[in-house]
Amino acid sequence: MLRSRAKFAAGAVVCVESEIRGDVTIGARTVVHPKARIIAEAGPIVIGEGNLIEEQALIINSYPENIMPDSEDVEPKTMTIGINNVFEVGCVSQALKIGDNNVIESKADVGRNVILTSGCILGACCQLNTCEVIPENTVIYGSGCMRRIQTERPQPQTLQLDFLMKILPNYHHLKKTVKSSSTPARS
Amino acid sequence: MASLLQPDRVLYLVRGEKKIRSALSQLYFCRYCSELRSLECVSHEVDSHYCPSCLENMPSAEAKLKKNRCANCFDCPCCMHTLSTRATNIPAPLPDDPTKTTMKKAYYLACGFCRWTSRDVGMADKSVASGGWQEPENPHTQRINKLIEYYQQLAQREKLERDRKKLARRRPFMPQAFSQHTIHVVEKYGLGTRLQRHRSGAPITSLYGLSLKEGEDQKEITIEPAQALDEVEPLPEDYYTRPVNLPEVTTLRQRLLQPDFQPAGASQLHPKHKHLLIKRSLRCRKCEHNLSKPEFNPTSIKFKIQLVAVSYIPEVRIMSIPNLRHMKESQVLLTLTNPVEHVTHVTLIACEEGDSDDVNSTAKVMVPSKELVLAGKDAAAEYDELAEPQDFQDDPDVVAFRKSNKMGFFIKVVPQREEGDVTVAFRMRHDFRNLAAPIRPSEEGEAPTEAVWLTHHVELSLGPLAP
Repeated sequence: MLRSRAKFAAGAVVCVESEIRGDVTIGARTVVHPKARIIAEAGPIVIGEGNLIEEQALIINSYPENIMPDSEDVEPKTMTIGINNVFEVGCVSQALKIGDNNVIESKADVGRNVILTSGCILGACCQLNTCEVIPENTVIYGSGCMRRIQTERPQPQTLQLDFLMKILPNYHHLKKTVKSSSTPARS
Repeated sequence: MASLLQPDRVLYLVRGEKKIRSALSQLYFCRYCSELRSLECVSHEVDSHYCPSCLENMPSAEAKLKKNRCANCFDCPCCMHTLSTRATNIPAPLPDDPTKTTMKKAYYLACGFCRWTSRDVGMADKSVASGGWQEPENPHTQRINKLIEYYQQLAQREKLERDRKKLARRRPFMPQAFSQHTIHVVEKYGLGTRLQRHRSGAPITSLYGLSLKEGEDQKEITIEPAQALDEVEPLPEDYYTRPVNLPEVTTLRQRLLQPDFQPAGASQLHPKHKHLLIKRSLRCRKCEHNLSKPEFNPTSIKFKIQLVAVSYIPEVRIMSIPNLRHMKESQVLLTLTNPVEHVTHVTLIACEEGDSDDVNSTAKVMVPSKELVLAGKDAAAEYDELAEPQDFQDDPDVVAFRKSNKMGFFIKVVPQREEGDVTVAFRMRHDFRNLAAPIRPSEEGEAPTEAVWLTHHVELSLGPLAP
């Protein structure tokens, strides 16, 4: 059981029912729904501002499959997530670097070796386990994971975030900010 | 196991023009001919047109004019999903005072699945929510329309000639123009049936050799023949060396859904109007009665006439299969369900040796020799607590259980082959009371409908042999 060394910025709304393990930093105006899971096993996770992490989403910084946790000296890699991303219900994200304004739709699966730049949309139930950098404004959709480039990036969900930040505290207890620290600059 | 209830485990044989084996749930029953009918031995007719997304009914003439497309709904050219209209607020200068700006609503089309928007192809936002979207003009429309008119005139003339010849000579064979099956207006280059198009005399491709026949009183339409070009535009120089921009290349499906333009680049994919769907009615070919007629309203899924086989013929279903071994007798449990409200008597007969319908069976089957009696379907039985228990003397070797209008019975199966799936076939004979026949007033005052005995050939696929 990892000791929780989570740091939430001042404006973050993190529900008590969410599971946050390990060294996780969450930026301001980010909303973490109940039953969301953010697990920093093999290294810290840094989440930027304005993100929306919905129920049953799983953001996990796990060990790669062929490396045992205690065997060698594995350097802990930091998982960085930018601003204004949306992790919809039930998605799984293991990507080490996620940029801004991305949308990972419901039940999508992002592998560890993928780097999402900005404005990417990963459609519902699409699995992305290649080893590549997804160019900006890419949309991946359909059962065959077809791709296309859209001309404009998806809009940040400001309305939704404002609404949730007002309503969620009425119905859920929030995790207290352990230590308010500004989000570190993204590498 | 749910796999035993799959529809294709039990097949009924339909003796039509072709012998078709199909599940009972997909068959129709003509109660005037007292025979099973499948989709291939009925004639399909278009009842009405409707749009699948806005559920708007469209009369056939209007549908033909609009090329079977809905006026309001669009399809995404990228993923063929239905497009939805979204609104944004844009600042626009007031008409009176150019210095002040006010928020005006601008509408654009967007796809919820692949996130395509109308702005991707350069279509400007419209200020009205619906009706503002224009489809791009096909540059060849005029020429195509002229050609169509010319050929329609030719076809008309040929038809008149054929009719004149036919009346004069009275040949024994009928041209397909007068067959009973073509309900549509016979037009050679219009929306005729498939039969008509095959019989077209003049080849559609060549223009040479065609001339207008003599004796016109109508306006003559002339067309210029197409010009053949000697020179073709050369390919661009970097055609083989330029790297392919994959997201920009359209897939074949996207391209062929727009046959007018067939754009090679994704930035020229314009949305098309949504295709209409039809409601169809089915008609028995022998007695010309309707077997299935849906309601006119597109939002209703009910039928005005619904003569489906499951509501007239007892249905056999597999309930449990033991391990089947080569040349060893096993007992298979089947159920019989009675769909009608009166008591039905069912007799099962094994197929004989030289039965021509019995081509697929790979096992011998011993069916119960006694007549099985099924109680009628009583819709109120579950609410009626004082219902009398059904009093059927059942042989426990044959009948496993009984439950309102359903009963389970055993058959014995001996697989004959060492490998492969076990398939058995038998004939089922049951009585059918025809409620459609006109009731003749009889002397006793009562009018019992006569029972007709129908025989069906049933095939069951029992799965593989146990290892």
